Amino acid sequence: MLDALTHLYLPGAVTMWCAVLFALAALWGYSKSLGGDPTALTFARRGYRFYVLSVAMACVVLVICLWRRDFRIEYVYQYSGLDLASHFQVAAFWAGQKGSFLIWLMWSAAIGIPLARTAGRSEASVMWVYLLTQMGLILILAKNNPFVMLPEAPADGAGLNPLLQDDWMVIHPPVMFIGYAATAIPYSFAIAALWRGDTKNWAARAFPWTLAGFLVLGTAILMGGYWAYKTLGWGGYWGWDPVENASLIPWLVGVVLIHGLYLEKTRKRYRRLNLLLACFLFLSVLYGTFLTRSGVLADFSVHSFVDLGLSAWLVGIMGFHAFLSFGLLAYRWRSIETDTNEDPVFSRGTALVLSTIAVGVSTLLVTIGTSSPLITRWFMDNPAQVGPEFYNTTNMPLALVIALLLAAIPFLTWKEIAPKELAKKLVPSLVAAVVVAAAVGLSIQMEEVFHWLMLLLGAWALTSNLHKVVDMARSGGLASTGGYLAHVGVGIMMIGVLSSSAYDMSHKVTLPQNEPVRIDDLSLTFQRFIPRQGRIKERMEVLVERDNGFSYLAYPKLFVNDRTKQLMANPDVEKTIFQDFYISPIQYEPAEPMKVDERFMLAKGESAAIGDVEIRFLDFEMQGHDAGMQLAAGRPVEVGARLEVTQQGQKEDVRAIYRFDQAGRVDSPPVALASSGAVALTGLDPSTGEVQVAFSASGDMSPAPPRLSVDITRKPLIILVWYGLYVILAGGFLSTWKRFRQSDRVDEIDDRIAAAGA
Amino acid sequence: MKNKSSLYFFGAALLVVFAGFSYSKFTEALTPYVSYEEAIATPRSVQVAGGLEKDTHSYDSDLGNLHFTLVDPEHAGKTLKVRYEGIKPANFEDAISIVAIGKWDSQAEEFAAHDLLVKCPSKYQGVEDYEAGDGDGYKSYGSGESAEGYKSYGSEASASEGYEAKKSFETETAPVTAPSV
Repeated sequence: MLDALTHLYLPGAVTMWCAVLFALAALWGYSKSLGGDPTALTFARRGYRFYVLSVAMACVVLVICLWRRDFRIEYVYQYSGLDLASHFQVAAFWAGQKGSFLIWLMWSAAIGIPLARTAGRSEASVMWVYLLTQMGLILILAKNNPFVMLPEAPADGAGLNPLLQDDWMVIHPPVMFIGYAATAIPYSFAIAALWRGDTKNWAARAFPWTLAGFLVLGTAILMGGYWAYKTLGWGGYWGWDPVENASLIPWLVGVVLIHGLYLEKTRKRYRRLNLLLACFLFLSVLYGTFLTRSGVLADFSVHSFVDLGLSAWLVGIMGFHAFLSFGLLAYRWRSIETDTNEDPVFSRGTALVLSTIAVGVSTLLVTIGTSSPLITRWFMDNPAQVGPEFYNTTNMPLALVIALLLAAIPFLTWKEIAPKELAKKLVPSLVAAVVVAAAVGLSIQMEEVFHWLMLLLGAWALTSNLHKVVDMARSGGLASTGGYLAHVGVGIMMIGVLSSSAYDMSHKVTLPQNEPVRIDDLSLTFQRFIPRQGRIKERMEVLVERDNGFSYLAYPKLFVNDRTKQLMANPDVEKTIFQDFYISPIQYEPAEPMKVDERFMLAKGESAAIGDVEIRFLDFEMQGHDAGMQLAAGRPVEVGARLEVTQQGQKEDVRAIYRFDQAGRVDSPPVALASSGAVALTGLDPSTGEVQVAFSASGDMSPAPPRLSVDITRKPLIILVWYGLYVILAGGFLSTWKRFRQSDRVDEIDDRIAAAGA
Repeated sequence: MKNKSSLYFFGAALLVVFAGFSYSKFTEALTPYVSYEEAIATPRSVQVAGGLEKDTHSYDSDLGNLHFTLVDPEHAGKTLKVRYEGIKPANFEDAISIVAIGKWDSQAEEFAAHDLLVKCPSKYQGVEDYEAGDGDGYKSYGSGESAEGYKSYGSEASASEGYEAKKSFETETAPVTAPSV
């Protein structure tokens, strides 16, 4: 073991070992507490705090190593370099697998402190399970220690992947890992409840945490989508890539669990299902981690992954938790108390269940699609992946069902409602929805009937829930509108997704410099290439003018990363309320100079031969003015030269001109020869009196201007995708806040019920 | 309650129908890895893999198409012409292996790819291969002569000859009056 230690950076190794020891101490303390020792809880809490401190210290050590560019540490060497800006220097922390497992562990550990406070009487058992979930991460980090040292320090690091050198890199991954860490919380509550055999209160306690996790994970997904859209130039915010799906699946399971918990709270039903879903939530994160980090999808993702030999470990950890979950569930299944009061057909309960089932089916489809390379291994010679169309076509009908149910839910009651009465209540929002749909649909010239239907239902989900939110807010119940507000967001987002992806218009055009090119009602002019200015990379300036007078300057970026020589492209996105103009640079062709077959320097009277052509420099032919005075006056100077060209025995005298001005602009107009070909005067050496003569056999010497090829896409109403998500998250925030306040009183209520019973 | 059970039955039937629909979409959307011969023979969307044959790629900036030829690493001499309807991915020339997803276009007699996955001998783990990219203007970048190609990039990106001519002029602005004859 000591031998192993010498390969590790000592401060890092010490903090990691401290973390392991304190985690074990806390586990032991919680075990004793569960065994009935009343003093052990204090010990366990103290142990847990020291554990958090140790993990935090390990992170601090890594940050310091990164900051100091201590390339002795292999991880620092692999992900940073001398040329890296300071904020990326720190962000390199989560650029690799080891560091991202460490930050995952850090968030997990840190969240444990507020978790212990809200767990009330179930603290010991919940924290025990919660620590157990972190043991998996600790094991992985023990195997893949980020503090491994190199035999000697290289002079420079390997550098951070240029694609990750974006401001979103600083914030997106850490938030994502908070979301991942949070999924272990409902799981811990569920397993602890199953273990104790007391499943009555777990839902009330796990509810706010599930919502909080949904909120954070949703924020991270939003940022990832925005990053992909705004700077990576992938053209869209979502590509159904396995890595994206790996974060979407837990989020969708979270949505299902949230609704299940809500129903459990109000209807006292679905207790077994919720326990199962809480297990699925955590398992889905483990599964996603396995898919994206084991190398099994290496051939299928635009994010390519290297197998660090973690596959077996990840499968082992996943298997352990799956066994624990399903084993305990099976063991307790019969003893879990749950109500069987059925919901009437036309009731809120039924509608909620159906819409939740639809989300669940969607989750299943995304999971199956993402797993397709694994699934197809069983019945095909070579594993295969499904394309994005699988996700799009199968989720469309589900979206319709969900939108319809979401529109009805606000005005359904738990008790049976007469269809007539329901219809009456829904009329105002339906009228509003028709107006919204007509406005949107006509403005983007929607064609397909199916799209109109989807648009109408999305708009209806929006207006109906908005109606409810306004009603509730008026009667002072704003704090309880979280769910409806989130559903308003779903409606908004659906409209945005539909209009921006089904009705986007994309054109590939090549723009010669200073030459306007028309596309529909747009005129694009590539104005200039702007070289690198400090931190700002090479940009292209494109003037975009619309016939209605709207115009702006776009600056798509196209540059080569110094270190990797990778070509990087960042699109320019101009956001307007009604549509985004998305200009993605494809290629830049620098100006082509004169097409010349040969150049040679000639002194007065000298001649040169190219094939059967002979060119002799006879004499200068200057303007009457003094060149120096011309330049001082800001006028161009013209130097003429008389050349004698002999071709196939025929002689001709030509006069070629070389023009230059004070700004350094030079011009060498080609002179066509009577026989064939062309000559030009392309330079002169005043010290020797020689001139440079260029010859082209074809005669076409004309230079080509620089050309920029871009892909310009108009995405109607894409702004609604973002705003829809903001509203969903705002609704989630309201609900989280409300449920945390409620969960504070769980033990109190429990006592009161017990007292009343006695 | 008879009404209720028939509703459950209806729901279950709906789910079964949807499962069937999803299954058919799943098999339709699958893009299996196939050999070049199979890719040419089948009308469905498939994936083919191979190495990039040297100096075969060209970018048609008018149509926005990238043309190149894949070489089967296992069967020497087997090649497949590919047309990629999109932007050339970064580090394309560096690729040790290219996966093209699409189908055979029998009219143009080439494989029409709508997606490319480029695998590079990257030292980065977690590298996200880039989808947007460039074209011929940067041909030299990322290839063997990258350092050289890179030098000529920038505002004076015009080929070195013209640039040199200009430079030699600029540095000798002062004595330009000398050859006044």
